[in-house]
Amino acid sequence: MTGILALSLFVVAISFIATEKVDKVKVVLVTAGIMIVLGLAPGSEVFFSEHEGIDWNVIFLLLGMMIIVGIVKQTGIFDYLAIWAAKRSQGRPYRLMVMLMAITAIASPFLDNVTTIMLVVPVTVVVCKRLGIPAQPYIIAEVLASNIGGASTLIGDPPNIIIGSRAGLSFNDFLVHMTPIVVITFVAFVLLTRVMFRKSFQYNPERAAEIMALQERRAITDTKLLFRCLTVLALVILAFSLHSVLHLEPSIVALVGAGVMLLVTKADVHDVLEEVEWPTLVFFAGLFVMVAGLANTGVIETAGSWAIETFSDSPLAAATSLLFGSAVLGAFFDNIPYTATMAPIVEEVVAQMPDADTGQALWWAFALGADFGGNGTAIAASANVVALGIAAQTGQRISFWEFTRYGIIVTVLSTLMAWVYVYLRYFT
Amino acid sequence: MQARDIAVQVPTVTLEDSVATAVRVMALGRLPGLIVVDGQRRPRLVLPGTQVLRMAVPRAYQDDPALARAVDEAHADLFWEELNGLTVGDCVVRGVGRLTSVRPDATLLEVAALMARLRSPLVAVVEDHALLGAVTLDRLVGSLALAGPPGE
Repeated sequence: MTGILALSLFVVAISFIATEKVDKVKVVLVTAGIMIVLGLAPGSEVFFSEHEGIDWNVIFLLLGMMIIVGIVKQTGIFDYLAIWAAKRSQGRPYRLMVMLMAITAIASPFLDNVTTIMLVVPVTVVVCKRLGIPAQPYIIAEVLASNIGGASTLIGDPPNIIIGSRAGLSFNDFLVHMTPIVVITFVAFVLLTRVMFRKSFQYNPERAAEIMALQERRAITDTKLLFRCLTVLALVILAFSLHSVLHLEPSIVALVGAGVMLLVTKADVHDVLEEVEWPTLVFFAGLFVMVAGLANTGVIETAGSWAIETFSDSPLAAATSLLFGSAVLGAFFDNIPYTATMAPIVEEVVAQMPDADTGQALWWAFALGADFGGNGTAIAASANVVALGIAAQTGQRISFWEFTRYGIIVTVLSTLMAWVYVYLRYFT
Repeated sequence: MQARDIAVQVPTVTLEDSVATAVRVMALGRLPGLIVVDGQRRPRLVLPGTQVLRMAVPRAYQDDPALARAVDEAHADLFWEELNGLTVGDCVVRGVGRLTSVRPDATLLEVAALMARLRSPLVAVVEDHALLGAVTLDRLVGSLALAGPPGE
């Protein structure tokens, strides 16, 4: 009975989040509160149990990275790179798109996708206006590249952070298992954009001179700040990759990195803390309490048992279902709540697998599906929503379907490629 | 003195007016801000001059000073052209401005305190939802100086 009640509350909350009729932070806080008051979520344990409550590793990893990114973005490096790329492209549209996609895809694994998009899209709009070409195809391509690139590391996409923490997977695990398929997918995606956006590639040589007037060197005013930021960021990434030596949780590395970054750059703490997306952190906390409600009332166990019964004989079928199911569901719902909900169920299924390697294959199938599903629709990932918002503000409105018709194609292609990768690497 | 004693008539704009029009009204009237009224000339909100500017400067440049620096001088003078027919109403939705108002019988201390607290150099004088006039920072400071202690 309590399970049905918890599940009902959860479904209502998720439908509110999906339809975006009410602020999602309000939805999760109210639902989490109701679950605790009704005794569905495990009281004070939600604050102290890593697996049956709020996963502070996830929240503090996000907090640390938000502080680091908040300082890095002040350096102007993104504006410099994007304008430099535009100049190098000499105004040739496809070359410009490839260079902007490459910058986005290379930055996304280390910075969060939303920040990357917030930095790259405005400068893209400026460049496209100078060239007299519509910015929409470039913005859509950047978002898709960002979601693909972000899939390659532990810190690149929120679903990976949740999965890494729940499954105990390290930064290096993600590099070894996710990066190869992400690189292959990105190359295929770059080729695909040549076809997808072919009607948008009109070269206008007279306008090309306009972008040469942009002064990218003026974007960076403090080279010492830039050097310090990049050094600390490199050290943080190195510390992530030395997990097996240092035995430091990613959240600790990110928080220490954020502290060092504040010290060496002498950035104003209050200014930097304004860059932290506090609503996102609260959203995560509320979401974890809601999932704890499902776990505490046996819903997760029931779903896990059903999944084990269905898939225990065929790990490949489990991986296939996880990959495609996650891509489809992740495309129509925000992939963060989806991943947070599914992670404990996947954990139960993984525990029943014949060996650890097969179990880990399921985690990778899950991560690839959730990450690539983020490209499916205009609302599937936060970066998509943010990009459409910036586009509208700059007069380059992108409709839901304008984004989604490209997103679906890329999601289908990337998910199929991911399935082939999972099959060849883990099941042959 | 009361607010009604130092209030002046000021041109207003509506939510449907374009941001470019709003800037022009403020510039031609040499106003420190703007009062936005609805169809019945009821005041909806007061925009300090900096907030009018906030509507006029594309968001991307406000959020990313490095991008603003990278724009060359010739194009920088033309950022107005990027407003794309944006109206005052479009910007109000994004949370710019509030109704900074006093009753006609408000004392100069009340007006001064409100201006200081809300960082607004313009205050609407409102009675029964109708706009009677506005007190500008210039007018307030001038009146206070004139009413100041003799010999100072």
